[in-house]
Amino acid sequence: MKALGRAAAVAAVGTMLAGCGGGPGGGGGKISDGRLVLAVLNDQSAIYADLSGKNSVEAVKMAVADYKAKYGDKAVTENIDVIAADHQNKPDIANSKAQELYDRQKADTIMDVPTSSAALAVANIAKTKKKVFIDIGAATTALTGANCNKYTFHYGYNTYMLAHGTGSTVTKDGAKNWYVVYPDYAFGQDMNKSFSTAVQGAGGKIVKSDPAPFPNDNFSTFLLKAPGLSPKPQVLGTMQAGGDLVNLVKQYNEYKLRDKGIGLAVGLMFLTDIHSLGADALAGTKFTDPWYWNADQGNRAWADKFLAKTGKRPTFAHAANYSAALQYLDAVQRAGTDKSDDVVKQLEGHKFEDVFAKNATIRAQDHLLLHDVALAQVKPSSEVKEPWDYEKILKTIPADQAFQQPDPACKL
Amino acid sequence: MILSKLAARPVLLLFGLVAAFALPWLIYPPVAMDIACWALFAAALDLLLGFTGLLSFGHAAFWGGAAYAAGLIAVHWGVPFPVAVLGGALFAAVLAVPIGYLSVRLRGIYFAMVTLAFAQMVYFVVNQWRDLTGGENGLQGVPREFFGMDLSDPFFFYYAGLPFVLLGLFAVWRIVRSPFGRVLVSIRDNPARAQALGYPVERYKLLAFVLSAGLSGLAGGLYAISHGFASLHEVYWTTSGQAVMAVVLGGIGTLWGGAIGAALIVELNDYLATAGFTETGLVTGGIFVVIVLVFRRGVWGTARDLIAARAARRSPAAGTDSAAAQVEAPDRQEVTAR
Repeated sequence: MKALGRAAAVAAVGTMLAGCGGGPGGGGGKISDGRLVLAVLNDQSAIYADLSGKNSVEAVKMAVADYKAKYGDKAVTENIDVIAADHQNKPDIANSKAQELYDRQKADTIMDVPTSSAALAVANIAKTKKKVFIDIGAATTALTGANCNKYTFHYGYNTYMLAHGTGSTVTKDGAKNWYVVYPDYAFGQDMNKSFSTAVQGAGGKIVKSDPAPFPNDNFSTFLLKAPGLSPKPQVLGTMQAGGDLVNLVKQYNEYKLRDKGIGLAVGLMFLTDIHSLGADALAGTKFTDPWYWNADQGNRAWADKFLAKTGKRPTFAHAANYSAALQYLDAVQRAGTDKSDDVVKQLEGHKFEDVFAKNATIRAQDHLLLHDVALAQVKPSSEVKEPWDYEKILKTIPADQAFQQPDPACKL
Repeated sequence: MILSKLAARPVLLLFGLVAAFALPWLIYPPVAMDIACWALFAAALDLLLGFTGLLSFGHAAFWGGAAYAAGLIAVHWGVPFPVAVLGGALFAAVLAVPIGYLSVRLRGIYFAMVTLAFAQMVYFVVNQWRDLTGGENGLQGVPREFFGMDLSDPFFFYYAGLPFVLLGLFAVWRIVRSPFGRVLVSIRDNPARAQALGYPVERYKLLAFVLSAGLSGLAGGLYAISHGFASLHEVYWTTSGQAVMAVVLGGIGTLWGGAIGAALIVELNDYLATAGFTETGLVTGGIFVVIVLVFRRGVWGTARDLIAARAARRSPAAGTDSAAAQVEAPDRQEVTAR
């Protein structure tokens, strides 16, 4: 009790001291501290560094440049900073860094944040600090479900979209029998559930679905079993991502399952995954891609600019970061201020079209970005005409079918 | 030398307390809270590693288990946060009973392996029990309730949480200085002899294990409340490794060294997050290698030896006091001799 009393006393003294120093700044500017600060918090050193990482920071800088070019003198502020931090995929680092970015670096918005536990942690900080958070890198639907809040937006993709895009489209195209292998953690389990619903909804059948340990190097148990299942599956659906996906695909090729009539469908794949495996290892694989750089002239023009800056072609995460930054800045422009509540009001229900988001709406009920996505197939290397040209777009899945209905658990 | 030691102790204690209270003024308060939690975690582990001679590689189970327990208590019952933190510590201590009972029969690397195995079991349970723990999304939205007081500012929460850390550190210090602690040291140095003198060695080890786990849990529970969530990372083996690392960097068997090691690791993690290096692992690894090579007994252990050596040079007579000095600091000499 004594200890608690002391704590209370210290806290009281602290309150007074902080009261002296940290009062509201006052002053007439509509932009807090006279500048807009966009913070990119993502993985810059580990497994997601390639597919997002530092190049997402570049993409956000491109958005700032385009915003300035578009509005010129009319821009609500000249001073726009882009800052970055590396959360190393650790939720506790993401949590403290997010607080620091909002409090100390005066970030007006935090963007990207892959890894769902980290994203959810940052969403909570955004809620308590009442600051805008636009998540791009994480796939969990919880961000717009049970854990949604007024200041959090989810931009680009999620597990539902990935599973439904691939599951129902491939089934409707004739592959009725599926064998699903998924990594045994929340992402994989979510994907498996959504995938099964999608396949069955499209009239297909899940012959079997097996959880694999995560992470895992050896998938031979599952791959050897596949041809012997009855009825024989036409597609192997793998929900593995990153290094696990690379291993599974290599072993799939070693067992020559494609020659045995079992196609491959992948839950989540980034352009960088195809680049590291090589087109031939994945040729024919179908997957849902929220955006592809070479899908049309507009995408290509932007990808050229990105290539000039970074030496690489953008993944959809890079493009989504660009688009999110652009839409955020546009919302600030419309609102005439960077006050979170006003910016949120501008973003909610906003309909727009940009290089990443086609036919797009930010749904007011749960702050999920709805936009057209694509079902893609990996080309064989003989059809690859230039570096990074790996995908053929099979069809466009319209925005209103690509994503789930709002989750009733979400109360903003 | 004894006289100078007696004078030095309150000074060091004062210095430590000032540092503990000044920390959130010097560095970012949430990071300061992390350092405080990790300092207690390291000290609790040192109780086992430095004073009982057991290298546990599974303390993440207790730190993380308590983090989840405290988080769940706070989420579901909305009790004031001290209750949740103490509940977490209690959970860790209870969890440590069966794990410790089965592990303390083993020694050395086997003990380390078995504790690691148990911790991994805890990890998988937490990972799979999604309805309760949220799987790899983590347990989110842990409230920081304290009789309606607004503790959302990390600066104030630091001072609200600090008493727990100080209490925990005091407990470790008290345990080490108690007759019970003396027995632990004797078990560490010569278990056969301790047994011959009539001490039930395994029961002592088990109690040390449970106490260490409970104190680690105190730190873990506080950590969860401070961050507002508990994640799988807390029960993962790298967390056990980081705790051992903090103890080794600070100095095994020095108690306060762990705090220095913890501060070093947490600060380094925090700094690297915005430093712009891509090879974070390489940088941290490199720094640790250098520290281990330069400070053979850890930062604090080496510093203390240097101070002692200088004092001995100043008063040549001190050499005769060495036996007495050894009684004062029984925890120093034997550790490296083992």
